[in-house]
Amino acid sequence: MSVDDRRVWLLIAAIAVLGAVFIPISQIWLDIEYDYTLRTVVLGSSILGIISGVLGCFAVLRRESLMGDALSHAALPGVGIAFLLAGRELGALLIGAGISSWLGVMFIRSLLSTTRIKQDTAMGITLAAWFAAGIALLAYIQAVPDASQAGLDTFIFGQAAAIVESDVRLIAAVSTVVFIVIIVFWKEFKLVTFDPEFAGANGFRVTFFNTLLSTLIVIAIVLGLQLAGVILMVGLLIAPGIAARQWTQKLDQMVILSAMFGAFAGGIGAALSAIDADVPTGPMIIVVAFLIVTISILFAPGRGLAWTFLQQSQDRRRFAALTTLRDLYKYATSHGGATHPVPASFMAGIGGASVDVGLAQLQRQGYIERDGAAWVLTATGAEAAARDVHNQRLWDLYRAYGDELGLPTVNEDRQRAIGDVLTVPAVTKLETLLKGQTS
Amino acid sequence: MSKQLDSTDKKPPALLVDDLTVAYNSKPAIWDIDLNVPEGVLMAIVGPNGAGKSTFIKAVLNLIPRAAGTALFYGQAYEQARSLVGYVPQRGSVDWDFPTSVLDVVTMGLYGKLGWFRRPGRQERELALHALDQVSMADFANRQISQLSGGQQQRTFLARALVQDAQIYFMDEPFAAVDAVTERAIVNILRELRERGKTVLVVHHDLQTVKDYFDWVTLLNVEVIASGPTEATFTSENLRKTYGGRVAFLDGGAPVNMAGD
Amino acid sequence: MFGIEMVVIDLLLNFFSREEINTFLRDPQVTATIIGSLIAISGALLGTFLLLRGMSLTSDAISHTVLLGIVVAFIVMTSLLNLEPDLSSPWLIIGAAAAGVATVVLTELIFRSGLVKQDAALGLAFPLLFAVAIILISRFVDDVHLDEDAVMVGEIGVAWADTNSHCLSNCETVTITPDDERAITARRCVNCTAENIYPRDEGAVFEEYCGNCGTYSPAQAWSAGLLETEPILVFWPRSITVTAIMMLLTVGFVVLFYKELKLASFDDALAKALGLRPGVLHYALMVLVSLVAVGAFDAVGSILVVAFFIIPPAAAYLLTDRLSVMLVISAVIGSLGAFFGYDLARGHFLGIIEMDSVLALINRVFGLQLLEQWDSSISASMVLMIFIFFIIAWVLSPKYGLISVAARRANQRRIFDDQVVLGHIFNHQHDESEIMELQADDLYQHFLWSQQKMARVLRRLRTSHLIEIANNIVRLTQRGEESVQHFRQNNLSEHIV
Repeated sequence: MSVDDRRVWLLIAAIAVLGAVFIPISQIWLDIEYDYTLRTVVLGSSILGIISGVLGCFAVLRRESLMGDALSHAALPGVGIAFLLAGRELGALLIGAGISSWLGVMFIRSLLSTTRIKQDTAMGITLAAWFAAGIALLAYIQAVPDASQAGLDTFIFGQAAAIVESDVRLIAAVSTVVFIVIIVFWKEFKLVTFDPEFAGANGFRVTFFNTLLSTLIVIAIVLGLQLAGVILMVGLLIAPGIAARQWTQKLDQMVILSAMFGAFAGGIGAALSAIDADVPTGPMIIVVAFLIVTISILFAPGRGLAWTFLQQSQDRRRFAALTTLRDLYKYATSHGGATHPVPASFMAGIGGASVDVGLAQLQRQGYIERDGAAWVLTATGAEAAARDVHNQRLWDLYRAYGDELGLPTVNEDRQRAIGDVLTVPAVTKLETLLKGQTS
Repeated sequence: MSKQLDSTDKKPPALLVDDLTVAYNSKPAIWDIDLNVPEGVLMAIVGPNGAGKSTFIKAVLNLIPRAAGTALFYGQAYEQARSLVGYVPQRGSVDWDFPTSVLDVVTMGLYGKLGWFRRPGRQERELALHALDQVSMADFANRQISQLSGGQQQRTFLARALVQDAQIYFMDEPFAAVDAVTERAIVNILRELRERGKTVLVVHHDLQTVKDYFDWVTLLNVEVIASGPTEATFTSENLRKTYGGRVAFLDGGAPVNMAGD
Repeated sequence: MFGIEMVVIDLLLNFFSREEINTFLRDPQVTATIIGSLIAISGALLGTFLLLRGMSLTSDAISHTVLLGIVVAFIVMTSLLNLEPDLSSPWLIIGAAAAGVATVVLTELIFRSGLVKQDAALGLAFPLLFAVAIILISRFVDDVHLDEDAVMVGEIGVAWADTNSHCLSNCETVTITPDDERAITARRCVNCTAENIYPRDEGAVFEEYCGNCGTYSPAQAWSAGLLETEPILVFWPRSITVTAIMMLLTVGFVVLFYKELKLASFDDALAKALGLRPGVLHYALMVLVSLVAVGAFDAVGSILVVAFFIIPPAAAYLLTDRLSVMLVISAVIGSLGAFFGYDLARGHFLGIIEMDSVLALINRVFGLQLLEQWDSSISASMVLMIFIFFIIAWVLSPKYGLISVAARRANQRRIFDDQVVLGHIFNHQHDESEIMELQADDLYQHFLWSQQKMARVLRRLRTSHLIEIANNIVRLTQRGEESVQHFRQNNLSEHIV
């Protein structure tokens, strides 16, 4: 297991611990009481978070994030019609929502294939029209006296509190089927998502797998609606995947991590919204999910912005130190020797903020010392400078004769020691060549 | 002309294309193409932009619908000959920020041979590593693909095709925007493939190198202008027919030395 | 705003009587249609440029997030500045514009990190801002105009009732102080105006503290029975003014910067090269989108505004190629949608179909017991009508419509099939391969076509004298050769300039 892998598993463990710790903390500080109802709600929400997170990864990688938005809006009229036909029966409402979303997809596709309207506009049209149809239907339904329409608007902003045990069973059953399909067709989904053309040339039925994957995404959206609602569903769908992408370079780890993030956002969002009955779940979950994304974008090792920033400032200091060292060494050797003092005024004359940065850095490394109005290279400093000159010569030789000597082609990063980049025999060849040249 | 070859040669050709036409919105992209590619040649497909070179490859590989025509690989239709065919798509056709490693991408070349449920195992891993070694990319096996240079990406794609161990390869612009090292690596691979009796079709842009790299050439501009051994086919007259007047300024150093012809 | 309304009313009074104006504006459909049309015009103009710039979904995002600006400004006004909450206050409008720009900036920021793709960045940014807005509303705002339902569907049906009254003559304001003989002594009759309590606040608070003390505008004084002579009043729905100002701003912007917008929408790089600062234009556009969204918010609800931005321009895009025509058509479609949408909400579809009878039919066919009385959201119905006009444009457009395109494709397909065969014959005739390739009976095999299709094509070609068949070998006629040459010149050689 590589360092990267270990880091991902550690992170997964950390999220699990954090989720577990949240329960006692929220009991004490937020006065949340985990009775049977809330336990059911949190469990259901976590499962919904998992399925959204898993399928969201594929939506993000296929660049269909906004398609998720259109699809979730498009589910609303289906909810209304299913209610009119079958009453408030979760299974029926979900099937209605699914069919309605699917019709939305079909409409978008047929617009794209028959007109010059582009994808974003086609999605916008569908989103607005389907949503309006849904609102019109809900308005009609609400005008009906004595209808048990309560709970229908939960599909607009999500209300996890409405989840009961039988719902959780249904959600768990559907999710299990979805996960099995993903596991069975894992390599097909991966290939079709990464390189559909190659997949096609290898005899995979690309259209079939694309349609299957879209269907799974629709299922995830439709289930997730209870949690996030049609308007905010896109956030719940894509945020866990985007966050997970920052921490890992492997699809399987990304999916697992995304599932964890989804469960975390879903469960905690649902618990938090229990503080106040006025606050719908959807917005809470989105805020939690976005926090996860922000943390990931900022702090994910190797990729996060904070990491990049740190790396850049380190590089800046290192390069400043290196160029300053070269200037000092050059002046000193041409004025008598490596440890000949270099007037500070000369260094100031070179100018630029990087000189000061470089001098400070060199002083910290113990490469130079201040001697009145001059800088003096210490023994270690002089040695480092000489090593650098030598290194540059070897790089010059590599560039000129590397091919003739049959040396492998590498990224010519001249600021690095050539020995770190090339193998020992290769460097020896260059050394021999250098000796031959100087003698 | 192509039919004559048939009658003298018992073995079916590596690729036999008959009357292949592809249209986008009823506008022909390639038109009534007849082509006979004998086994064991390195063939360049050249032609101006929009001449239908990539379309030709995709149509032959059943990736886009044909308006008319057939393609036979070693005498078999594509469905039967699938395991004989290797494909290197254009580098720009995928998202290189996809979360996966070089080794993983190469292993994808073996997915077609694995059945349902089966995951790539140790054996597949070793095959993939071997292919990576062939393109001098073994050191990069665990590298994330977003960290690769353009040339390294191309070599990864090449390794993925090599691992398929096909008889006939289709490569869509493998030389586009790659560094000299990669270009050399690709050429070496191509020659090695030919020595092993494979047939390779390459969409190619650089007219200067056609004569050096390829022994067979097809000039394409919606229709096949000419096809055959490079020496006889890659003539300035054929080039003019393919590129129109533009070839004049293409040949600063003359893409072909016409003195002998 | 009051002053602007007065100017317009004066102007109208030159043509109509006061009674006519009042009756006209008191018709809910008239007011709803006027407001709907004004929003539709603004939306259509801006939406057209968004469509051409491939930013349709940005308007969707902004129409969601202006809510955050409104809510934040609302909270600041009521809790910090202690101002009377008013949805047409400039504070709310500034807040909304800021939120719109913030959406675009946040999306840019997420995208610029290089870690998230463009579409995903938008998909992250607007749910977040919207979610925060909803949380703030449900926690801190307790106002009928700002609950989650109003957010979505607005209150265009009652817009006619929310008016400013303008007095023309007999204008008398009445101030009742505690020592006034008309004062009804309440528990604590205080100087209500000084304590920010107004007669307009109505209800319990005013009555408990002030009795009937305070300053009455002429309209209020008349309805409270404090005046003997009726003031001559015009009642002007406030939403009309707000949306009209947005419309004028939009029209002004488009007229002033027409050529810049046109250029920047087609070729951003060229616009930059010509020194047009497309970036500034971009943000100006975003600010206007936010302004229109917030102006429309009260009437159609923040979420349905997006339909007014996206659908009419898309319909116009299917009907014309000219930008100026497109702008006009999309404005017209939006306005028509607003007018007929009101009817639809009340159960009348384009004056052709009654929704009630549709419901009755559904009940009969499916054996259901649905309420046979259709009464629905006005703004959602307006969107549906606009969508229906879009569908009509999609099907019937003479140039890009489904029907005409299908007809044209079928025709092209025929020509194309003919030419495939003609070209094949052309390539092989007078060649030693002709015996193999040009057998009339098995020609279909070369193309992988069905026998019937080939027979059909050959019959067509023979009747138009392009080919002849002798000894089962197909040959081109003189005319056939010409046809092939002509087709090749026009279709194949385009790459050879």
